[in-house]
Amino acid sequence: MTPPAIAPPEDSPRSFADKSNKSAILTAIRFALRVESSAVRHNMQTFNRGRYTATAALPDYEALKDRARAIKENAIENLPALLQTLAESVHRNGGHFHLAADAVDAAGYVRDVCRAAAVRLVVKGKSMTSEEIGLNHVLEASGIEVAETDLAEFILQIADEQPSHIVGPAIHYSRQRITALFKRRFDTDLALDSGQELTAFARTRLREKFLSAGAGITGANLIAADSATLMLVESEGNIRMSSTVPPLHIAIAGAEKIVPTRQDFACFIELLAASSTGQPLTSYTSLITPPLRGAPVVADGPVTDRQFHLVIVDNGRTKMRDDPVLREALYCIRCAACLNSCANFQTVGGHAFGGETYSGGIGGSWEAGTRGLPQARFNELCTGCSRCINQCPVRIDIPWLNENLRHRLSQREAKLPARLRDALTGAPKEDRGVSLQKLFFGRYDHFGKWGARLAWLANPLGRLAPTRAILERAVGLDRRRSMPPFAAPTLVRSAKNLAPAPSTASTAKAVLFADIFTNFGSPARGLAAVKILRALGVDVIVSDCLPDGRAALSQGLIATATRQAQRTAEYLCKYLDEGREIVVVEPSVLAMFHLDYRRLLTSAKGAQQFDRLRAGTFDAGQFIASLLRRLRLDPAKIFPADRSPVGRRVFYHSHCQQKTVGCGSAGYDLLRAAGFDVATSQVECCGMAGSFGYKKEFYELSMAVGEDLFAQVRQADGDIPRALVVSGTSCAEQLHAGLGRPVLHLMQLLTDIVQPPT
Amino acid sequence: MNLIDQFQQAALAAAATVQRVPRDASAIAQAVSAAAVIDGVTAPRIAVAASQDLPADLLDAVRAFPNAVTDRTKTALARTDVGVTEAFAGVATTGSVCVSVDHEYAGPISLLVRQHIAILPADRIIQRPSDLLNPQVLGGVGLTRSFVFITGPSATADMGDLVRGVHGPHHLHIILLV
Repeated sequence: MTPPAIAPPEDSPRSFADKSNKSAILTAIRFALRVESSAVRHNMQTFNRGRYTATAALPDYEALKDRARAIKENAIENLPALLQTLAESVHRNGGHFHLAADAVDAAGYVRDVCRAAAVRLVVKGKSMTSEEIGLNHVLEASGIEVAETDLAEFILQIADEQPSHIVGPAIHYSRQRITALFKRRFDTDLALDSGQELTAFARTRLREKFLSAGAGITGANLIAADSATLMLVESEGNIRMSSTVPPLHIAIAGAEKIVPTRQDFACFIELLAASSTGQPLTSYTSLITPPLRGAPVVADGPVTDRQFHLVIVDNGRTKMRDDPVLREALYCIRCAACLNSCANFQTVGGHAFGGETYSGGIGGSWEAGTRGLPQARFNELCTGCSRCINQCPVRIDIPWLNENLRHRLSQREAKLPARLRDALTGAPKEDRGVSLQKLFFGRYDHFGKWGARLAWLANPLGRLAPTRAILERAVGLDRRRSMPPFAAPTLVRSAKNLAPAPSTASTAKAVLFADIFTNFGSPARGLAAVKILRALGVDVIVSDCLPDGRAALSQGLIATATRQAQRTAEYLCKYLDEGREIVVVEPSVLAMFHLDYRRLLTSAKGAQQFDRLRAGTFDAGQFIASLLRRLRLDPAKIFPADRSPVGRRVFYHSHCQQKTVGCGSAGYDLLRAAGFDVATSQVECCGMAGSFGYKKEFYELSMAVGEDLFAQVRQADGDIPRALVVSGTSCAEQLHAGLGRPVLHLMQLLTDIVQPPT
Repeated sequence: MNLIDQFQQAALAAAATVQRVPRDASAIAQAVSAAAVIDGVTAPRIAVAASQDLPADLLDAVRAFPNAVTDRTKTALARTDVGVTEAFAGVATTGSVCVSVDHEYAGPISLLVRQHIAILPADRIIQRPSDLLNPQVLGGVGLTRSFVFITGPSATADMGDLVRGVHGPHHLHIILLV
């Protein structure tokens, strides 16, 4: 009999903070799923719900976002002048200003200031910038004690871990784990088994530090150049303590935090609170212009000579400013809405989906800018699901940044054979050298075409275990996943056999776009949509099949995606010229037309095409719903639910990108109006997110993300399972994998029951 | 809803307490005395910040409490239970009170104590936080002072549950002068 295995000590998250090595990402995901996921999920979903509620309560939310974006764009454009103005303002106020070129410079300056003032203990408020410059190590190496006073940072300092979130650095700690940590670390008989007790315990310990510290160090959420006013946002009171109680205050902030005037703070005050913690305001929003005039609290009678140092950190930001992609990241106000709204992030948090300091969708750009491109490799966890885009208060297109990082990383690491392969097959020069996996998923247009031609061979082969094993090894397609079988005939070919569209007295003129996923993988959906539209009197034809660029873009093949976008836009605009509206079955393709083409079609002509396509392309469900409204047709008569072959009780899950482009509820509303008993999902994304969940290295994460969705289905089921209805290709595979039940596409359900109007 | 009612509702939602009191020295003293209860103990140690906008005599009766703390050293303030300060503005949509932190000891007095009592004239309530950065509002006072929007007591979600009362006060009581 073997002795019971002794559990190995938990790996420290520090050991995989540096993600320049791909294996670190995989280790981190496994660790996070095993140890941190339940706390992360709970905390992230609480933040996420809070944000939706709080932003909905802002009457001018969209206008505030526009204003915030404009202020940041302008500030970054004029950064050199603002730095000059800010330095003058600080001096005028009687403070000291230092512009630090890099992390070493910044941390060294702070250390020297502390030494000169004979500081033995500093109290610190939460500051990601101080994490970025490694300040604590530098101070401690000089014998200066650093007390982290934000309770999350206090936990991390005890545990020696990096932040897992840019606003809530310890969101990966459950109350139970905090209790265990404190009991291990402190000699105490207290039970410490409630948040209340833990907080009281930390308060007592830190109160002593606040009162005896020689200096307080804070970050800054924003800085006004005209007055050198700092905006400091918090709830615990530790930043107020650190900035006002000790006689010396040192504020450290990245150069991107500067805005021209104090009045510019106005639009950020509510926007930041609502976007980040989902509150109307946090407990404390300080607008202070240090050094303060009021006296600091000292042991033996009042003194009045407060000192203030402002350290502005460059550390790569000037280079980011010169880079058209990373410049976008400088607009970030660190609210973490993109972290909180991200399904992957909600499941693993920033120890897996993050680097040494910065995490989440925006984190890749920050790690790339401040530490270097290889550190940004965790950007692979951005699936491009797009849920963060509308949540960003400064309208940063975060998936676009990550697609670019992916592209750059591929370029940097391209091996010669891959370059040769791509040169021989005619890949655009800029996209040469990508991995086979990225090529496989990014060029589904090629694989789909050949797969469909050879479907008689490819499909049976694809079901065989050895083929799956080979595919898993060669291109990283997880063998536990099943790709939709290649279709023969394709949508385009099947459409040729349809009767010509009725041309007289049509209710609308439309063209159904034969995207590569529908054409090669699921033509039945496209045909179903055509049949429904024709039943409603629409003169609808099916387009040729063109790659729209989605697959390529998601893998960072930006040049390929751009070429495809240009061709597709040119092609589709001809239909718009004919007066046809464009109906799209696959939501991720619709999102290309509504969002991504803005970035891909940059010429004047391209911009015009983007505007036309955005106005002229429609989600199939949305198109049908608005047609019914226009024709004053009752959905319950056109799509009588009692004729449904799967029954009236359905669970409808709408696609992530569909929600982002504003038609997430169209299918749900239509089913309800038709008389279905519909339950729907409350998740940001199913976890499949296009190709993401098919990849071997991300299979477990993808399934873990899906758990919330699966649970919602089970709950809505009750005693009798509901029929599953979706609007996207990959969501169907995910639901099928998670629940082992058939999944219907919305168009297939509707086509089975449609009754032409009388 | 008028600004005062809106303010009161938002302040309660932020876990503050609100009391309407006539603008009168003895009424204020009575209200402070009644509100200043820490852990069931009445007549705790009270520090009153120097007046900035309100007439000094409005708070003189409170300053004359037998348990008033006048010592401003850190040891004295850290042992003080209740801090009374003026609020120069209130925000209707968020229930925030705006307190100067660069006027004498108003900063530490509103921060180091267990309970903060803010005295807010009802005619200083504005609609939204951003209004305070408008030069036309309240004489542009929000553009020149160092101050803090205080919205409820200090709080944290870092310890697993929502906890009120962290490094700052555990309670925020707002005396609205009407």
